[in-house]
Amino acid sequence: MARRGVGTWVRESVWEIPLRRYLALLVAAALVAGLVFAVRPLLRDDRSCAPGVSRPEGSDECVGVATGSYDFGQTRLRDVVRAIRRENDRLKPGGYVTVALLLPYTSTSATSLNDILHQLQGAYLAQYRANHDSNGEAPAIRLVLANPGATGGHWRQTVDQLTRMTTSADRLRAVAGVGQSTDNAKKAVRELTRRHVPVVGSSITADDLANGQHGQDPYPGLARVSPTNTDEARALASFARVSAGKALLVYDKPGDPYTRTLQRSFAALIKGSPYEPQPFTPPADRSQEGTTANTFRQITHLVCDTSRETDTILFAGRHTQLRQFINALGGRGCQDRRFTVLTGDEASYLTHESELDRTALRHRLAVRYTSLAHPDAWARDTARTGGSAADFGALNELLAGARRAPVGPIGSAALDDGQLITGYDTLQLAVHGIREAVPDGRKIPGLADVGLQWPQVKGSLRVDGASGWICLDVHGNPYDKAVPIVELTPEGGARFVRIAWPEGKPPAKDCLPPSP
Amino acid sequence: MGRHLHGRGALFDADPAGLAPRLVGLRPHHHRGHPVEHPQELPFVVLTGARGLGKSAVLGELLDAYRGHTPVALIDCAEPQFAGPPAERPAESWSPVAQGLLVIAEQLAAPVTGAGRITFPRLMSGLVAVAAGGWGDADSERIRREVERILLLNESGSWVSGLAGRWAGKVAAKVVAAATGTGPLLSGAIEATLESVAEGFTSRRHQKASVWYRTYPNAGGHAQRGLMLLSGHFRAGGTSREHAERYLVRALLADLTEAYAGVLPRMQRLGRPLVLIDNAQTAPGPGLVEAVLRDRAEGVTDQVAFVAARRGEGRESLRSAVRRELAEVARRSGWAPEAAPSSRALLVALAPLTPDDTLHLIGAVCGDTPVPPQLPHATHRLTGGNPLGIVLLAESAAQNLPGASSLGELLTAGVRPAEDRPAVPTYQALLDRLVPAEHLEELTVLAAAHDHDSACALAAALLPDTFGPADVRALQTRLAEEGLPTVPGRFVGDPFVRTLLLLRLHLRDPDHASWRTAHETLSAHYPDPEHAPYRLHHELALGRTESAVAHLRDGFLSLDTRAWLRTLRFVASAPYFHAHDAEGRDSTGPGDRRAAVALGRTDAGQEPPEGVDAVLHLRIRRLLHAVWLLADPLVLPDAKVCDRLRFELEQLSNLRPAGNALLWRASRDWPAAALAGRPMDGPDDGQGAGGADDRSGEA
Repeated sequence: MARRGVGTWVRESVWEIPLRRYLALLVAAALVAGLVFAVRPLLRDDRSCAPGVSRPEGSDECVGVATGSYDFGQTRLRDVVRAIRRENDRLKPGGYVTVALLLPYTSTSATSLNDILHQLQGAYLAQYRANHDSNGEAPAIRLVLANPGATGGHWRQTVDQLTRMTTSADRLRAVAGVGQSTDNAKKAVRELTRRHVPVVGSSITADDLANGQHGQDPYPGLARVSPTNTDEARALASFARVSAGKALLVYDKPGDPYTRTLQRSFAALIKGSPYEPQPFTPPADRSQEGTTANTFRQITHLVCDTSRETDTILFAGRHTQLRQFINALGGRGCQDRRFTVLTGDEASYLTHESELDRTALRHRLAVRYTSLAHPDAWARDTARTGGSAADFGALNELLAGARRAPVGPIGSAALDDGQLITGYDTLQLAVHGIREAVPDGRKIPGLADVGLQWPQVKGSLRVDGASGWICLDVHGNPYDKAVPIVELTPEGGARFVRIAWPEGKPPAKDCLPPSP
Repeated sequence: MGRHLHGRGALFDADPAGLAPRLVGLRPHHHRGHPVEHPQELPFVVLTGARGLGKSAVLGELLDAYRGHTPVALIDCAEPQFAGPPAERPAESWSPVAQGLLVIAEQLAAPVTGAGRITFPRLMSGLVAVAAGGWGDADSERIRREVERILLLNESGSWVSGLAGRWAGKVAAKVVAAATGTGPLLSGAIEATLESVAEGFTSRRHQKASVWYRTYPNAGGHAQRGLMLLSGHFRAGGTSREHAERYLVRALLADLTEAYAGVLPRMQRLGRPLVLIDNAQTAPGPGLVEAVLRDRAEGVTDQVAFVAARRGEGRESLRSAVRRELAEVARRSGWAPEAAPSSRALLVALAPLTPDDTLHLIGAVCGDTPVPPQLPHATHRLTGGNPLGIVLLAESAAQNLPGASSLGELLTAGVRPAEDRPAVPTYQALLDRLVPAEHLEELTVLAAAHDHDSACALAAALLPDTFGPADVRALQTRLAEEGLPTVPGRFVGDPFVRTLLLLRLHLRDPDHASWRTAHETLSAHYPDPEHAPYRLHHELALGRTESAVAHLRDGFLSLDTRAWLRTLRFVASAPYFHAHDAEGRDSTGPGDRRAAVALGRTDAGQEPPEGVDAVLHLRIRRLLHAVWLLADPLVLPDAKVCDRLRFELEQLSNLRPAGNALLWRASRDWPAAALAGRPMDGPDDGQGAGGADDRSGEA
């Protein structure tokens, strides 16, 4: 028998004996199943990064909604993410709703990451306040991090995931943040609102990422904390009193929603200017350097070629390009002439930008921009309406408490770029909407009901944000929101100049938008 | 795989299936199922045949082919263990059948591929009850010895019983305690056994087994009482014992049926269990066979494949059995049971091997030893296809070639049965196994006889006075029972056995005295002229050729050609063991002088008698020696002598126009037959002409 082949053995010692045959078939089936289970993950490599987060096909980015304490590989986010996790874990199941903070967490730009960190810190402080300092108002707020990718390219996957979370035990009721006014952000917001997911924009300022433009509401359920570019430009204009003959427009072409609305607003201010607006074309991912530095060096020549009355440059572009432009202006030929660069809130990204040539600011160059918020705004300005030092003080108090347990630590926090304040206000608005939408006798609001609250946020129902009052018009846009004008300092930071108002003056005490 | 059996394809073929796979349901030497021919009731196969036909070899091959694949047991009823009870054991508690059942069950219990040991709780209980009947004055050590062997039949050998400890040992202690205790011995032992069966294991099978004896006649639903009745019947002896033995056989079969019943066993076991009974003509063979056949006839069915082998045809004991030649059962047995129990048996007569089988067998045994080309056919002519004869001759050839030149020398040469055993003359080794040992001496003498009368004459001359005519008849009957053919004109019908016996007779005394006395007695036994061929035959055996030559020479012109040829063949069929002088000494030394005479080399020295045709005389003389040589089964055919034979017959045919055709036919047929190792049949054979006593032309 020993000399016989394996085939004979299998045939005669296994197959011919029914019991062994069936057992062998069972074992073989189990082995095959086991093999399949064992090999499948090997064949299809593990693309998950953390619970809810995975790498899409053809990408190494971890995108999705992080429901655990996942920091997207960013060490600077670790502390605040842990703090959020602690706060989330504390919540009783069934007693909370989820708010997702949609931001490009995997961004490789240090500037963007700083902003993201600050917004996240602000959002966390707002969450903490909502869960601890609001007389046990229901529901509690759970905060999760939603990442559509550095450029927002994977927004669809993230939006799908967010949509699923609205019906699951997560009970997602609002998406906050959204970040910059990019095309992908626009698509994501359009899709989210189409699916009746309420969205609270934090630093989106683009006009076309807002309702009410040309009388239409393309994003039902979208509310914004920041004024539109138009409002910012109006506030900027009311502050600077620029006129056509004194200003030159430099703009991003083709631009994104943010730059385009800014460009349009600026263009309207200097209608009839003798100088042709100067375009530049950055890479699609506007946080990349690209070749625009050359373009800006050429534009600085043109700047020097203008008549001497021209002392204002209106810049409609993103912060990377702004930094390049400032650096180029620092080396301009006409160092004797004084210039003021006016731009939108993107410039706030430069307050901690290490690659910014700050010496340029000592060479008769001022960079002033509309900040979304500034810590000095209410300490220095004495407006009696539109915001208050007390509202800001509440945030300051929270921030002080967050330096250590149990609230903190939340990492290094800074207020001067306004992002922390914005993040805080954004979540405050979201919490306001959610809690206002809770029906009597219930604890959890309906999904679409939250979005229906936005037009009512005015008058006494306004949100007293740390950045100023948030009174929304019927389209969910802030009405006459305080716009701090700040100036970049050579020392690295931003100096508050003063508060400007889109309407030219602070809102009335009742803070009710007038009939359009 | 064991050595392949030649010429037994009708039993062992796998594709298309021979009888064995169709019976057992397994391909030989493989663990591979095969459809059975008789799925419901199966025949009890009995192989029949004389000694040396390979019955034991077939059973051995069956054992080899199925061991490890299906439970298989082989008992040889001729073994001493079945002849009588062991020392100390009283005959009343022992019988060959009970012993046979124990041995069979022990072998069947062995685990096979895919399935574990078989337990025999029913048989075990019965055997304990039987054995307990003989414990009246036994010491506990003997009881323990006896009962432990029986109890081992119920060892399942699984790890469960291993965990439970040596079950048999524990039960044995209980039984011994019960048997040597104060209470009633028999019932105590039986009770202890039954309890152990029922309690030792909790399985339903054992519960069932423990109550099996409830159905014993008059047991009244009590298994214990049934066993006591069984024990009593066994001790009573006679037909009562037969009844008890039948119940024991039934217990064995019931245990086997139980082992194959149920879903799990059916998924584990292939085919049927196989029980092989060799020498079934001696006890316990007949008892076992009859018990199984009667049970099957009475509807107590089982699925056990029995193959027994018995010497002789068993016409008396198996009267209604279906009888088949081996070749007939090659594809289907055509067996169907009838009412009589013996009709449940299928008797298969083993056939002698064919010349081709002989060739293959010799080739297989001799291996690399160069073998004379005529040897296989000559061996087949000598042995008549007897497998044992062929094998031993081949062994002898392998050990003695090229020293020995003829079959006669191969027979007288020594053959070692094994490497370390002393050599025995081949013919002696063959006779030991082909002839009943107790009658060897008588048969050696009587082998030369032709019929009862001549046998009696030989017995009177050479055997002790106690061996009278009645003993001659008894011996004749015994030979018929042994399965040896009865041939008119031959006291020993089987030519091969007869040749061996004559060779032994010749070599019995150093001076061949017995041999010469035997032939002289016989030639004197036939003094009258009508029995002249017999006289001449024996004279020729003694080396005297003159009378034979004269008789044939004178008869050539006067006798009918057909009768003359017959006489020639018969006279020339005399055995030839080289010439001897009157004192029995080799006159010419060992060697065969017939060829020289046949080829005419001695003609010059011959002086034909006065007044006879010298040419014819010499021709007849040459012819006689040629036929004598070529008809001798102990020498290899000589092509030159064959040529000469043809020439002489041709010449004779010219001299006798009347018998021309017959002589001419013989001149063609005989040399061809001699060369091919066939008997030199006359042209008239098969036509029934001529006397019955001298038809045979060959020894």
